Amino acid sequence: MASVASANALPRSSGAANGVTTRATSEPALVRRLLIGIALLFLALFLFLPLGAVFATALGDGVHVYLQTFRDPDTISAIRLTLLAAGIAVPLNLVFGVAAAWAIGKFDFFGKSLLITLIDLPFSVSPVVSGLIFVLLFGLQGLLGPWLIARNIRIIFAVPGIVLATIFVTFPFVARELLPMVQAQGNDEEEAALTLGASGWQTFFRVTLPNVKWALVYGVILCNARAMGEFGAVSVVSGHIRGLTDTMPLHIEVLYNDYQFVPAFAVASLLALLALMTLVVKSAAEWKSRQSANRAASEGETGL
Amino acid sequence: MEISAIGKSRGERRGDGPVSISVRGITKDFGHFKALKNVDLEIPAGRLVALLGPSGSGKTTLLRIIAGLEFADAGTVEFGGKDITDQSARERHVGFVFQHYALFRHMTVFENIAFGLRVRPRRFRPSKQEIRDKVHELLRLIQLQNQAGRYPSQLSGGQRQRVALARALAVEPGVLLLDEPFGALDAKVRQELRHWLRHLHDEVHITSVFVTHDQEEALELADLVAVMNEGRIEQVGSPDEVYNHPATSFVYNFLGNVNLFHGRVDEGKTYFHDDATGRPIFIRPHLLEVTRQPNGANHFRAVTKHINAAGPLVKVEAVTDWGATVRVELSQAQFRALALAKGEVVFLTPKEVTIFDNGTVSRG
Repeated sequence: MASVASANALPRSSGAANGVTTRATSEPALVRRLLIGIALLFLALFLFLPLGAVFATALGDGVHVYLQTFRDPDTISAIRLTLLAAGIAVPLNLVFGVAAAWAIGKFDFFGKSLLITLIDLPFSVSPVVSGLIFVLLFGLQGLLGPWLIARNIRIIFAVPGIVLATIFVTFPFVARELLPMVQAQGNDEEEAALTLGASGWQTFFRVTLPNVKWALVYGVILCNARAMGEFGAVSVVSGHIRGLTDTMPLHIEVLYNDYQFVPAFAVASLLALLALMTLVVKSAAEWKSRQSANRAASEGETGL
Repeated sequence: MEISAIGKSRGERRGDGPVSISVRGITKDFGHFKALKNVDLEIPAGRLVALLGPSGSGKTTLLRIIAGLEFADAGTVEFGGKDITDQSARERHVGFVFQHYALFRHMTVFENIAFGLRVRPRRFRPSKQEIRDKVHELLRLIQLQNQAGRYPSQLSGGQRQRVALARALAVEPGVLLLDEPFGALDAKVRQELRHWLRHLHDEVHITSVFVTHDQEEALELADLVAVMNEGRIEQVGSPDEVYNHPATSFVYNFLGNVNLFHGRVDEGKTYFHDDATGRPIFIRPHLLEVTRQPNGANHFRAVTKHINAAGPLVKVEAVTDWGATVRVELSQAQFRALALAKGEVVFLTPKEVTIFDNGTVSRG
């Protein structure tokens, strides 16, 4: 009997060795399909369906009506303001993020952990509160309000306020993406560059920056997506003056509340496109940075 | 091996021969840890010097201070008689080879080696053609002509180490500093690179300092060995001096195997104490004569416990009457003549014992 049993077991075990049948960590087919099914259903319900709905509604009355939206001066002004806010916030946060990541990753100084915590502040604070901070600072009844009014400088309910709020909300992105990379890479290559006679700037541009460039691209993309899409903080400081202080997300809300569904969704489709583009660039950046990380990992190996 | 080409171009460019290094009164603390305690070291021009010591002895810190990658709390560093204590690493014009190579991972081998030339101020920067020639000359030197377009990750450890060396030599440094240059390589490659570095140094004659914890490496490779322990230099000397005439018990202990006993020496006769009183007495394992019968003079009894006959020397571990373990090394011929086995009684006679007594060394 025993010999028969082992003869039966033989083909099965050889199948397992080929990886055809189950491994210890795999689940029965039913469980697998069920889990995948749930995940796909979830994606369809919460991602693909809304995304489809945005484009369907936007293009519901035809391409002509869709394009008509973008001739409306208020819409054009909203797009322009969004581009302006992002155009100022992203470069500033790029510089800040690189500087912060470099300082934290490469040097030891007093208050370092406090700085790391502070960088995360905009993530942990509600955007509405972020907006209110600026109102409390620069508003009419605010700390600096009277001083600003006396000099005829408007920040709240004006473009500067929107730019400030956008900068505040988006400043963690670049620093947060760079920091783990910079910390993992250590100082060796910078020290090597220094002994070879490179100046600080040469070291930064030729050694440090190329090593983190994909993380940097990823950080900038995320930062930009958030800068263009920010609603809460900007809404508080904007004052919703049509054609003056409405950004794209605010303009979408205004249009929607006016029952102008097609224009609302047409503008929304632009933001949705931005989101899709962000995802594509993000995937490419992640893939590239994984490649260079692999390269870095195999750097540690030894032997001839 | 075409090393002469590099030597020639060095001479043409700089005209000032190799540079001596003087380190005076260097002290360095890391928080409460005293890494270096008032260290003095003179390195003559053109020599290959080893900083040898256990980990934590301060040898890498001293090397990094010479390079300008670390700054001392007190003391001065001079290159060729010129005080460069306050100069940055960039100004010191040293070649530094890092323990883990620190090659630029996003650059090819060619770009890595060319880096030091490319970052020079425009006035001193060689032309593109000159850079290309120089890099190819160095690639020939490190025997990696066909790997110029590869990335560091595509090279083996030994190849990376050679690229790191070529990169350091490309800027024609006054001194070459190497931090555990062979530490991360396997034994065979280490051996090969050691010989290669020795040849290279014989040709180029650049003042070189390397850090190692491997006494064999230091003794084989260096003209001068500085033995370090707990932030101090215990002894500086030729490999022969430090090995055969160690100045302190630490040096004696660190360079080669040693048996430690306690006791005294009276009129050429050694008396061992079984309770760790008396002075420490050191005996090298190969300086113990093994006999089957007591030979009268200065012997003591022991029982063999373990025998390892693999290798050029036979290593015997024995236990003395007072319970101490003693290591003995015999030639294969002696071992066969004695026909030793485990658990047998032997008589050991020290051919030479070394006693360190407040700085003075006595032998007998």
